[in-house]
Amino acid sequence: MQQMKRLLVVYVALQALFALSWCFSDAEPGPAAGSQSNGDRFKIEGRAIVPGVKTQDWISTARILVEGEEYVGFLKTDGSFAVNDVPSGSYVVEIVSPSFRFDPVRVDITSKGKMRARLVNYIKTSEVIRQPYPLQIRSSGPHTYFMKRETWGWTDFLMNPMVMMMVLPLLIIVLLPKVVNTNDPEMRKEMEQSMNMLNPNPELPDVSEFMTKLFSKGSSKSSGGNKGSRSVAPKRR
Amino acid sequence: MAWLVVRLAISMSLLYAASAVFEDQVGKFDWRQQFIGKVRFALFDTHSQASKKLLVATEQNVFASLNSRTGDLFWRHVDKTGPEGHIDALLMYGQDAVVVVGNGRLLRSWETTVGGLKWETVLDTGSFQAAALVGVQDLVKYAAVLKKSAISLHDLSSGSEIWVENLPDSDSVQYQTIYSGGNGLVFVLGVVPNSHIVIVEYKIEDGEIMNKKSVEAAWMSSLESSCAVVSSGILLCVDQITQSLYTLPLQSAEQTEMRQIHLQTLDLEVVSGFRPVLTSTQPNPAQPPLSEFFLQLSPDHHILLQFKDGLIAPLRDFNPSYLAAFATSGERTVAAVMSPKNDTACSINLFSADTGRRHLDTTIIYHMDPNGGKPNRLYVHAFLKKDDSVGYRVMVQTEDLTLTFLQQPGRVVWMREEALADVVTMEMVDLPFTGTQAELEGEFGKKAAIQDGLLPMVLKRLSSQFILLQAWLAHLWKLFYDARKPRSSVKNEVTIDILSRDEFNLQKMMLMVTASGKLFGIDSKSGTILWKQYLENIQPNSVFKLIVQRTTAHFPHPPQCTLLIKNKDTGLGSLYVFNPIFGKKSQISVPALPRPVLQTLLLPVIDQDYAKVLLLIDDQYKVTAFPSTKNVLQQLQDTASSIFFYLVDSSQGKLSGFRLRKDLSTELIWEVVIPTEVQKIVAVKGKRANEHVHSQGRVMGDRSVLYKYLNPNLLAVITESTDAHPERSFVGIILIDGVTGRIVHEAVQRKARGPVHFVHSENWVVYVYWNSKFRRNEFSVLELFEGAELYNTTVFSSLDRPHPPQVLQQSYIFPAPINTLEATLTEKGITSRHLLVGLPSGNILSLPKLFLDPRRPEVVSEQSREENLIPYAPEMPIREEWFINYNQTVSRIRGIYTAPSGLESTCLVVAYGLDIYQSRVFPSKQFDVLKDDYDYILISSVLFGLFFATMISKRLAEVKLLNRAWR
Repeated sequence: MQQMKRLLVVYVALQALFALSWCFSDAEPGPAAGSQSNGDRFKIEGRAIVPGVKTQDWISTARILVEGEEYVGFLKTDGSFAVNDVPSGSYVVEIVSPSFRFDPVRVDITSKGKMRARLVNYIKTSEVIRQPYPLQIRSSGPHTYFMKRETWGWTDFLMNPMVMMMVLPLLIIVLLPKVVNTNDPEMRKEMEQSMNMLNPNPELPDVSEFMTKLFSKGSSKSSGGNKGSRSVAPKRR
Repeated sequence: MAWLVVRLAISMSLLYAASAVFEDQVGKFDWRQQFIGKVRFALFDTHSQASKKLLVATEQNVFASLNSRTGDLFWRHVDKTGPEGHIDALLMYGQDAVVVVGNGRLLRSWETTVGGLKWETVLDTGSFQAAALVGVQDLVKYAAVLKKSAISLHDLSSGSEIWVENLPDSDSVQYQTIYSGGNGLVFVLGVVPNSHIVIVEYKIEDGEIMNKKSVEAAWMSSLESSCAVVSSGILLCVDQITQSLYTLPLQSAEQTEMRQIHLQTLDLEVVSGFRPVLTSTQPNPAQPPLSEFFLQLSPDHHILLQFKDGLIAPLRDFNPSYLAAFATSGERTVAAVMSPKNDTACSINLFSADTGRRHLDTTIIYHMDPNGGKPNRLYVHAFLKKDDSVGYRVMVQTEDLTLTFLQQPGRVVWMREEALADVVTMEMVDLPFTGTQAELEGEFGKKAAIQDGLLPMVLKRLSSQFILLQAWLAHLWKLFYDARKPRSSVKNEVTIDILSRDEFNLQKMMLMVTASGKLFGIDSKSGTILWKQYLENIQPNSVFKLIVQRTTAHFPHPPQCTLLIKNKDTGLGSLYVFNPIFGKKSQISVPALPRPVLQTLLLPVIDQDYAKVLLLIDDQYKVTAFPSTKNVLQQLQDTASSIFFYLVDSSQGKLSGFRLRKDLSTELIWEVVIPTEVQKIVAVKGKRANEHVHSQGRVMGDRSVLYKYLNPNLLAVITESTDAHPERSFVGIILIDGVTGRIVHEAVQRKARGPVHFVHSENWVVYVYWNSKFRRNEFSVLELFEGAELYNTTVFSSLDRPHPPQVLQQSYIFPAPINTLEATLTEKGITSRHLLVGLPSGNILSLPKLFLDPRRPEVVSEQSREENLIPYAPEMPIREEWFINYNQTVSRIRGIYTAPSGLESTCLVVAYGLDIYQSRVFPSKQFDVLKDDYDYILISSVLFGLFFATMISKRLAEVKLLNRAWR
């Protein structure tokens, strides 16, 4: 995304530059239109390399496409290729293979047959970053056609924010009373005070109180009330 | 701020990477079939006995190696379309195959086991005539290529040119064939029509002309097919006018004229009007051909003859016989002859070439497909059996491009339907309900509910439930029964009888019309061909239009499809009506079409049998209705005033709109002329009739609604400039209302040229063109909006539209070339749309329409974020995860067909070109079904766990209460 944004900036900034730079490139490699002048035909040569894979395993399914399907070439058994009969112009040369990914290269052929290869840049079309010629196209690995399935694991489950939100308060509820000695009268006083601080309006019914009332009614016949549940605890001990 | 935008965009792009394929979905609902096309040359690898290779070169410029035991492809190389990739000749020696491509432009040698190129050389220009392998002293070392004015010799191991020589008098002499008998000489044979034959001898080593002679032959017009070289360099020609054979030794100096042998002396006669064909065989290019040859005297009469000591003797007469071919295995050459057996079958027999004696027990019965064409090519693979007798297999090609590979005694080893390599148009038709399903549906019929009372309804309900139960039990029984059988014998054979609509209507019938005139009905789930029908007498330049007139929804009326076949040159058409499920031709009478058809129109009007009415407009603007019953004509009269249609005449640059009158004549309403000197109309597209738009507008960031301009009559017209200069060329798009002829919008893309691919749907048009200034493909999107208010909320009328729509446009760079473009389509149009882009690499890219939204902001604002608009970026992303067909690439993808399924989330996709690929796409993920990887185990274990936890805690609570009570 950052890249997109940067491209955008570059795009806007270079709008003006385009016209200028175009003149240069127009004169130098000659645009595709140069093909109309019935001139010589040239040959685009190069080699494709897939590291770690034998050529015979992939060349039978690969093709070299020059500017779409305008010119088609095939790979030799050693991985080299030559696309014959190409008039002068500027072309995007691409090796297509269903298994391996190759980056396209732009090849410029002058009307005299001078060749150069450069990186494909569709935004700054006149930018020249030289590539070796005869082409050396190295595969950047197999295609990644497939999305990864979301696998289910315990760690994923535990690290889920929803689960964390539920588990942590639970731990606090369960553990805190055990850590803090509630029998200590000073402590209790302190807690009550803090509770009062939290509850600024004593008139307002406490939600937790209301809830405990509601639930304790059904399950136990004990006197109920918020004090009730709290008073049970010491009794039990 | 900026990082927020970035984060948003990342999360969004993650969200929209929806239509990706998971690895475990491979082959689950998709399939691909690969084809090669009409076979031009086929050679069996006879190099070794165990070889399974069958090399084929086809009219589709495909060179492939097939496994002759299964019919599968070992490898396939798809060259450029058109004459530049045309394969002129295929020669084979050892492991290598030499191919001449592009009218003699390239000579290639292929390593056939790997499928890689060995070498490739460029030949001089000049139209290709012939090619042959040249051997010296029993070794094949060279390939000679004959052009119109030159001959060249190439080394087979490196491809280097040994020599190239100009042919003498090449402007008057037509050099046509080449011959070498392994004696160090190459003969080039030419003819001056109706005058004489020229024979030039070249020395292999240096290309020196050893001898040149011309022989009188006033009767001869062409060497091809009527001449052959037999025995040790004897030129043999046949002429049907003089009813004679002519012989001439190529090398002898004394004989200066051809010796005539009347066919009458052999008791033979050529059928008048038939050009006799001579077929000889040269098993080893380093040795002279055999002295036996076939002479075809009529389409079904062959005769095996022998040339011996200047005399011709018949060995065996095959009358009747359709096809004959030679084959060699080791030192033995045999001839296979196909003769008719009865009306539906042919028998192929093997004869020894040198004696004409029939080999015993070598009959292969070939059953002809009653819906197919006649066999027209026979390829024989002969091999030596263990007992040293000759065995053979044959491949038969028929007129309808079926390749059948047979072995004794007539077992079909494999079959390929190569007509499918050239699909012209297709449709998808819902499968019919089964009897039980139809019964259930019938219960809810309108009539039944009114007529019957309450009790019969209840009874009916019960009975249908009983039927369902019965069907379910039968299904269970079948499952049980199949489970007991070994797995191999339970083959999931799909037949028409068991086909029925599935729960979500995901399985459909694909109707494919091919250029050769063969129709196919294919099951979309498995790719099985359920029926095929070859339409004979289809001109090669015909155009087809397939129309579904009645779907399967009108039980008991059978579904009905109509195919309009139109001759491109004359414009004369004919209709072929058939049932799309069974492929049977309907008995319905079809209107005769004496005049060229300009336009067809499928109306929503239906006749009493629920068939939609098809209107055919001829060149005098007269309308023919089909079906044209009284009922239909009455309806047409009632609705005539609201039936409009348009015609396009691209040669005159004219678009015109017409209205139907009550008497089925027409009146011109509007006309738009696009001057042909400046630009030409390339394509005109309306919207798809079965498209649904769910939402009328778009909710903006400020909670107001921007209403879409949903004009069903809108036509998108694409024009291209006639000036092809990159500085002055342009692509234009015009949006015209098809009823009123009003131009709604017009846009011009300067410095652009075609080919333009475009999609017109909903309220948008997306088109792709080539930017000739920056040399890249660009996408442009046009969206039309009515504004914040709808003019008429209930109905859209083209005649009452005072306000022009607001048009928004944006363009993007697309970093790849494009072959074809289509948009996904779903049942109700709720699912977001994707564009399916067919790339030359064979991949199909599913591009979210969200990226093609003219409202994408350059500067991100609060509101645009609220609307989920992606910030504008000039370059369109291409991700490999968006390739819906992963490595199942479709070569030369020509069209993509999309059809809605019963599930709103799912769109069925068929891509066709040289291959056919069928799949499903889920543009907004599968929101209406459980995911494939839905964790049933987890959910059930959690449920059970909770259940037991409650039980246990209940018990514990009881115990506790009890304890407390005791205290």
